[in-house]
Amino acid sequence: MYELARKALKMAEKAGAEEAEIYYAANHSTGVNFKKDSLDNAKDLFSEGIGIRAIVNGAVGFASTNSARELENAVKVAVAEARVRENDSDWVGLPSNGKYPTVSGIFDKKVETLELEECIGYAMALVEGTKELPGTRPTSGGFTRAKGRQLILNTNGIEIEEESTAVSGFVDVITVNGQISTAYDFAVSRSLDIDFFALGKNASDLALKSNGGIKIEAQKTDVIFHPFAFSDILENALAPSIDADNVQKGRSGLIDKIGEELAAPELCIYDDGLVEAGIETSVSDDEGIPSQRTTVIEKGVLKTYLYDSYTAGKAGVKSTGNGSRSSYTSPPSVGLRNFIVDYPRTDVIADTHSGVFVNTIIGAHTANSISGDFSVEARNAFTIKDGALDKPIKSLMISGNAFELLKHITGAGLDVRKVGGTITPSIRISDMSVIG
Amino acid sequence: MSIMQDIKFYDCRVIEGSSTSIILDNGKIEEISRNFSRGAGVRALCGGSWGYTAVEGEIDLKHGVEAASKLAFSMNANTPKEDVELAAVNPPKIDNLPEIRIDPRNVAIEEKVDLLKSIEASAKVEGVSSTRVIYLESEFKIGYRSSDGLDCAYELLNVGFAVSAVASENGVYQAGRESRFGYGYELFETENVLELAGRAGNTAVELLKAKTPKGGEMPVLLNQELAGVFAHEAVGHASEADLVLEGDSILENRIGEQIASPLITIIDDPTLHEFGYYPFDAEGSQSRRTEIIRDGIFNSYLHSRETAAKLGGTPGNCRAQGYSMPVVRMSNTFIDNGDARFEEMLEEVRDGMYLIGSRGGQVNTGEGIFQFNAEKGYMIKNGELTELIRDVSLSGKILEILNHVTLVGNDLKMTAGRCGKAGQLVPVSDGSPHIAISKALVGGA
Repeated sequence: MYELARKALKMAEKAGAEEAEIYYAANHSTGVNFKKDSLDNAKDLFSEGIGIRAIVNGAVGFASTNSARELENAVKVAVAEARVRENDSDWVGLPSNGKYPTVSGIFDKKVETLELEECIGYAMALVEGTKELPGTRPTSGGFTRAKGRQLILNTNGIEIEEESTAVSGFVDVITVNGQISTAYDFAVSRSLDIDFFALGKNASDLALKSNGGIKIEAQKTDVIFHPFAFSDILENALAPSIDADNVQKGRSGLIDKIGEELAAPELCIYDDGLVEAGIETSVSDDEGIPSQRTTVIEKGVLKTYLYDSYTAGKAGVKSTGNGSRSSYTSPPSVGLRNFIVDYPRTDVIADTHSGVFVNTIIGAHTANSISGDFSVEARNAFTIKDGALDKPIKSLMISGNAFELLKHITGAGLDVRKVGGTITPSIRISDMSVIG
Repeated sequence: MSIMQDIKFYDCRVIEGSSTSIILDNGKIEEISRNFSRGAGVRALCGGSWGYTAVEGEIDLKHGVEAASKLAFSMNANTPKEDVELAAVNPPKIDNLPEIRIDPRNVAIEEKVDLLKSIEASAKVEGVSSTRVIYLESEFKIGYRSSDGLDCAYELLNVGFAVSAVASENGVYQAGRESRFGYGYELFETENVLELAGRAGNTAVELLKAKTPKGGEMPVLLNQELAGVFAHEAVGHASEADLVLEGDSILENRIGEQIASPLITIIDDPTLHEFGYYPFDAEGSQSRRTEIIRDGIFNSYLHSRETAAKLGGTPGNCRAQGYSMPVVRMSNTFIDNGDARFEEMLEEVRDGMYLIGSRGGQVNTGEGIFQFNAEKGYMIKNGELTELIRDVSLSGKILEILNHVTLVGNDLKMTAGRCGKAGQLVPVSDGSPHIAISKALVGGA
């Protein structure tokens, strides 16, 4: 379909589009997966398609297809849809060519050319890692490598093409003796710099340490969230409120808060499409706006919301390069790039007299994405006593509010981790309410 | 050629379809979008290893079978293991497709937009500051062929909508949501969609005044939707035989055991014309009703052909999203009716909480722990509903909750949704009558 992209742009103009955009995306991934400790399957997935935005009289139509035979029809449907709609006075126009940055580390030839046997080797390393410590075994997991190619064309002259690679490993383990406890570990990277054996071993270690959990009293205490747990809360309870689309539609808890000090004074949060080898790094966003680094929170003060080209036009500001698409089948909407949490880092557990350490949480997606309220179940949680992890906790519910939480940050660990696009250390919050 | 001799099974699913979505946000059409797609997924089995290839666009099935076979062969050569056996299947009968009275494809897009506008107007009750309505329509044709000689196909067309309303006051934001999904445009007549929209708006406004209660252990009454989420999340997932075989389910080795109150019967039934309906699954197995729990006794896992052969059982619950590799999934999962009346149940709970609706949930099937959030609730004092509450979540151990059920209502209701597993979303429905539970952990302020 790649070779049809330029033709599709011409077809859209011919069909009557005043402006048009073609978004082409292709992805080839290979995964090797295990169940218990033996390999179960290998998967080779090829996906490829085109999404068309057509604009007539300030109204947008969208259609997509993965079939060359349907492309012409899809283009016509996109134009016809635009005609059905009323003029949208907030529509400014498709992006125009900008000055594009150079980014690095997002494509690794070695990943592209990996043989199946090598993929099998990495999957086996995950399994072998879990065997390093007796008393656990894997339940499921796998290794995946992927290569993507993206092309954005529009009638304002944008023509951006980019290739990228990614690898990931995931492992889930369970204890085999005594009480049942489980744990998982995963990592995603642009190149083969992941220690898959160590992921397996870490997961086993955590499951073993979590065995024989105790019950604790309901209380308010210091809680340290591992990067897995903290990123989960940020993405579900905070990020929706800095999305300019939600702000403009009255669905954000941060409306009219620009310039306000809403977080601990030493906290900075950046949205950055340029991070070396970042999972969300690319030359442009998914509608051709040059990627940039945006300061969202500076020394505790909210500086900006995140915009795609439409919401920026509506607000009369510049897009922050956050036009994002989950696939060629959807038009762009506001999405996070690499989301970086920065706070002065120390050996935060050692600095904590008493409290709770939480590795992962379940239920973060049930948070109230507007008010920021959340109530989650903590997994692989431990008590902290005199600056060290002490006893595993069997069951723990944590309730709070994402905005309050930002105000109560009192520490960060040395353990900065890339959790997909979110890059954060462990974060300590004072006065969290926990129910054991 | 030599490879194909070692491939003892392969199958192909070819899917062709189109979908339409319309989003109306705060009175404006935000998006009209259509998608046309085709693609295929091919599985091949060599010894104990599966190979899988999925391709979008134009499909050369012969090439697909070769590619999947090569993967399976290499996997088996590198890490040989015990052969996978598959339970036998017969050609499925396809005689129970949902009837469609009004084909949405014959309804003009302008008419659909007008419908959304009236839904939105109904949701915009006094105090609502923001509304969003989504219309979804999709049609697809699935063809299935296997080296066992199966060759079958069906077409399905579904349609539905979701409405959400947000109310705000003094920096507090609350939302109300309603949705319905089904099989013909007549859905918009048979369901009172304008009333539903009004309910979403009213919920948002009411919740502004709701209190966040103090959490802790207490008796609870769950409404149909939330109890349905419990049936699906906590019991349904743990009964999926692939998780059992991975050693990741607390229900492993428990068939025949009393695991729940004798009042509890839980059923998975893909033959019902609810949102999880299918005539045959992604392996060509005829869909069929399964009693997971009968009168409190654990009766059956949910199976694919592979798990049915390993554990003994009947296949019919292997499903896939699009061209993804099929895995064991639920369909329409529900707690069956009991005979308690709502008033009786309030009296039984006496002092506790009535929890309503769901904002989603999650479960750890290995440890048997679940967590989900209610949309809202009421305090129950002296057997009567009192103040409205919000931000309440329920968590606990699956087996404890099942044994703490004290009454099951007679007002079963199903709710359509999508269930995620292995990175794939499939349409499902779940449901229950009201159920009373003597002791559960409720999270609040």
